[in-house]
Formats: sequence, C-alpha cells, structure tokens
Amino acid sequence: MKRKTGIKLAVSGGKGGVGKSMTASALAMFFAEKKKVVAIDADVDGPNLAIWLGGVKKWDEIEQISVSVKPVFDPKKCDGCGLCAKNCKFEAIEMKKNRPVLCPFLCEGCGLCETICPKGAIKLKPVKSGEIKIKKIRFSDRRFLLISGSLYPGETGSGKIVDEIKARAGKFSSDIQIIDSAPGTGCPVNAALRDVDFVVLVTEPTPSAISDLKRVLEVVNYFNLPFSIVINKWDVNFSLSKKIEKEFSGKILGKISYDKNILNTVSEFRPILGTNLKAKKELEIIYNKLLIKLYA
Amino acid sequence: MEKIAITGGKGGTGKSTVAVLLANKFVSKGKRVVLCDLDVECPNDYLLLGQKLKNRIGKVYAEFPKLNKTKCRKCGLCVRNCRSNAIFQAPGQYPIFIYDLCSGCGLCSRICPYGAIELKKKVIGEIYLNRVSKDLHLVTGAAKAGLEETGPVVRGVKKIALKLARKIRADIVLFDTSAGIHCPVIAALQNVDYAYVITEPTPLGAYDLALILDLCRKLSVKAKIVLNQANLGDKRIVQKVLEKFKIKKFTFQIPYSEKIVRAYSQGKLLEFLSKEF
Repeated sequence: MKRKTGIKLAVSGGKGGVGKSMTASALAMFFAEKKKVVAIDADVDGPNLAIWLGGVKKWDEIEQISVSVKPVFDPKKCDGCGLCAKNCKFEAIEMKKNRPVLCPFLCEGCGLCETICPKGAIKLKPVKSGEIKIKKIRFSDRRFLLISGSLYPGETGSGKIVDEIKARAGKFSSDIQIIDSAPGTGCPVNAALRDVDFVVLVTEPTPSAISDLKRVLEVVNYFNLPFSIVINKWDVNFSLSKKIEKEFSGKILGKISYDKNILNTVSEFRPILGTNLKAKKELEIIYNKLLIKLYA
Repeated sequence: MEKIAITGGKGGTGKSTVAVLLANKFVSKGKRVVLCDLDVECPNDYLLLGQKLKNRIGKVYAEFPKLNKTKCRKCGLCVRNCRSNAIFQAPGQYPIFIYDLCSGCGLCSRICPYGAIELKKKVIGEIYLNRVSKDLHLVTGAAKAGLEETGPVVRGVKKIALKLARKIRADIVLFDTSAGIHCPVIAALQNVDYAYVITEPTPLGAYDLALILDLCRKLSVKAKIVLNQANLGDKRIVQKVLEKFKIKKFTFQIPYSEKIVRAYSQGKLLEFLSKEF
C-alpha cells in the first residue's frame, strides 16, 4: 500500500524526560537530508519538539480548534430536578441552591446531560480546546514541515487534539512522518501510536524508566506495532543498560551517552545536529540503522 | 491535614524525586505523611522508595456498554449520538463498541429505545498500599495499560488515599501527579492546598511551566516553584515565566549533581538523599 504520507514513525517511551523529543528532532533532521519529512509534535500537553528543532519565533499558521463541547444551562427552562447531576459519570455537575453548576474541568463533553434533561434546558456549546500550529523548518539545506499543537490549560481532549494534528499532517505529502508522543500511556499516547508503522521507544537505565517502558510496551503490543529501543544516558548505569540489552536483545537500535551539555545546548536553542556533541554521532548511527530497518 | 500536589508540566523534571524527598523531610520533622502516587500511567514513587506493589487495597471501576443482541434493532441511534465516535456500525450489522475510544459516559445506554445496551463494570485501575515506615504510607494508583481516560482512575485513587489519611490522622498528604496538563493532572490538582511545581532551567522547562502555571491559576491552586538542575542551562528564561505569573522567587533550587543522577539510576536515591540533605 502506498500512502501519500509514506511511513509513519512514532517516538515514545513512557517516562517523561528520557529523550523522546531530542531523538525525534534529530531523526527528523537526518531523514530530511534525503526524504520528504513531516515532523509532528503529538505531545499537546507540553509541545517541545519546536524547541529541539531550534525554536520557533513566529509560526506560519495557527488555527484554533474545538474538539469538545460543554453544557450551558437555561435557567428559565431548568426546574432544578437534578437528573443531570445525578447521572453525570464524571461528577461534573453539582446542584447548588437547586440549580446545576458545571465544573468545566471535570466535564468530558459527552452530552448525556443534554440528552436526558426532561425540560430541554441544556444546550451543548463547542469550546476552544487548543490549537494547531505549522512551521516550515530550515536547517542548513534541509527543509521540512513541523505540525505542532497544544491543549489549552484547563481543557480536556488531548487525544482528540492529537487526532486533529495528525489529520492535518496527513494533508501534506511526505515520505516519512516523525511523530513525537507525550509521556505516559493515556489518551494522547494512544492517539499518537494507534495507526503508525513503527515505534522507536526511548528509555534510560533507571528503574523508573524501565518500569514505564514496560507499561508503554503494553500499548505498543496491543496495537501490534513493530518497535525498537534506544537507550539514552546508557552510561549512567552500565549494569542496568546491559540488563535492558539482554531483555530486549535484537530490539536495541542504539545507545546515547549521558552529557549534561545537552541541557546547555537546548537552552541556546541549538538543535543536536548543529553541535559537535557525541550524542549527534550516536543519533546518526541510530538513524542509519533505522534507514535499513524501514527501507531495506 | 494539608494537601499538597507535586507537579511540573514537563516530564523528567524530578517530580517523583521531589515528592519522595518532601515526604521524607516531613516525616523527619515528626509529621505523619501519606504519599499518593497519582501518575497512574507510569507510577514510580514505589521504585524510588525501594518498594514492591504487592498489597492491593482496592480497585477503580468504570462502566462500559455491552450490547444485548436479542434486544438490539440496529437502529443506529447510539452510533449517531456517541460524541467519542466509539460506536461503529456497518450497514445492516449490529453496532460494535470500540473500547479504546469509549469514555464510559453511558449516553448510549440511556438513549437506546429498546434497552439493548447494558452498562458493565470494568476494572480501570488498581490501588496499592505500602507502609514504608511508621509515619510514611505510600498509596499507588496504576491504570490499566492502554486505558484512554485516566482522570477517573486518579479521582478514585485520590478518594481512597484521603480516606486512609483521615483514618490514620495524617498531617500531610502529598499527591505526585503525572506530566502534562490534561485530565489526570487536573484531577490530581483539584482541591489541594497548594502545589510544588518542579521545573528545569531550559526553554523546555519554561514553556511547560507556563502551561502548568496557567492551569494552576484556573484551578485556584497556589504554586510554589522548585528549580531542579539549577546550575545548568539558563534560568533567566524560567524567571521570565515567573514574572509573568507574578511569582517572586524559587521556593527551592536543587543543584545538578552527577551523584544524584547515578544514585537515581541505581534505585538508591533515598539512601543518597538522606545522607546528603
């Protein structure tokens, strides 16, 4: 099957701060040398891929999106029966002085209240949930698109925003999409991984990261996705690194050394590819192995 | 009883580390503490405390639809009204529920004119208790892997932790949240007295800090800022965010230390911290 969008490659890992966005940014830049790349930041809770790509001062395009609705109560029609509050599975409606009051942070926008209100006193209104942002990234002679987005603080529906971002990205033709996922295993991660062709899982040799890797692997296996593992900061604990390599033998794509200077370069908005850090060479090896895996 | 959240927006800034550190500090001051790990997608506090998740004290349930085919007339009303797009129906076929997308709102069951959709309880999360020391109880929530909506798990775990805290007359309950700003974080931050917000001196930390501070403001949760790896990167960018939110200072600054990195990787953070701090 030949798709307009080519291969969909996701970068995930479970634990936060293990190097997902760093890896995704470097892969996007390496692939862009020969392939038509669309980079997608699917971590709408904390979209940081743009920073790893050198920072974006002004987006080419910003589009506000609505992925959710919330109820509005008509006080003239409402007789205070409380049916809505009693039946809301998310405990988002509270009766105060015989009138329903919405806690917007708990509302899932399911619409049950509107449907069951005997007086027709509830109407659903779309809310501004977040935005999609697009920027053409330039790095030396390479050009590619970054499709990013964000969930507005206090809003719900991060998974649906990820769906929207991916749908938007699908309108651009590409050889490969690089999708940077959020940490965790919940709805934004599910949405990021659901339909991809391959997953790169970034981890580090710490008990927490390994535990989280195994949890995200349950999602990866549930969707039946092929995957490889990158061990970041592999040299902070040799024996745990060896343990990961042994446990996932045949699945290890590469290793990246620990370097506190990476924090300093990202503070200067310098992409890894614009440095001489060891991590750059190690990521290039990972890229080359990935090329063989995906295209050979 | 004081309820304190530990959050941070960005992942990997040191939320769990600070949570464990704070718990120990309060205990050493003679307080009785319940530490509640609400990063239910990736709970790690038990690992930092050298514990195992063995003692399950409860489960969190949610209701999901189940079709009674003998009653279903294939009218498609449920399909058209599901706002999660979680019901699929091929022409002339029975509807199929896609549980990966289902929020468990129960709308389909309510509106089915033939009563063909029942709601069945399903386990969405588990709750564990570890008595780490005389005055430190750890409550851990773990969502079922692949679960879409983890907010309800957080709320369920939180209720149990608060019940326990009242029963044992705890002085302090610490809620360690997951990364990000979506449902599980909102659920964790609701009704706390204040939150420690952990960040790092990079544009990544600063960007996500602005998001979580915005959320805290909307939830009326007072934020105290902890800067981790304080001597790396460039803290000016974080300070700018603090100015924007009219926060005067960092409550704590934790310097970068290679020793911490190694102790963490060996699962010996606590041992190390109790020696050094």
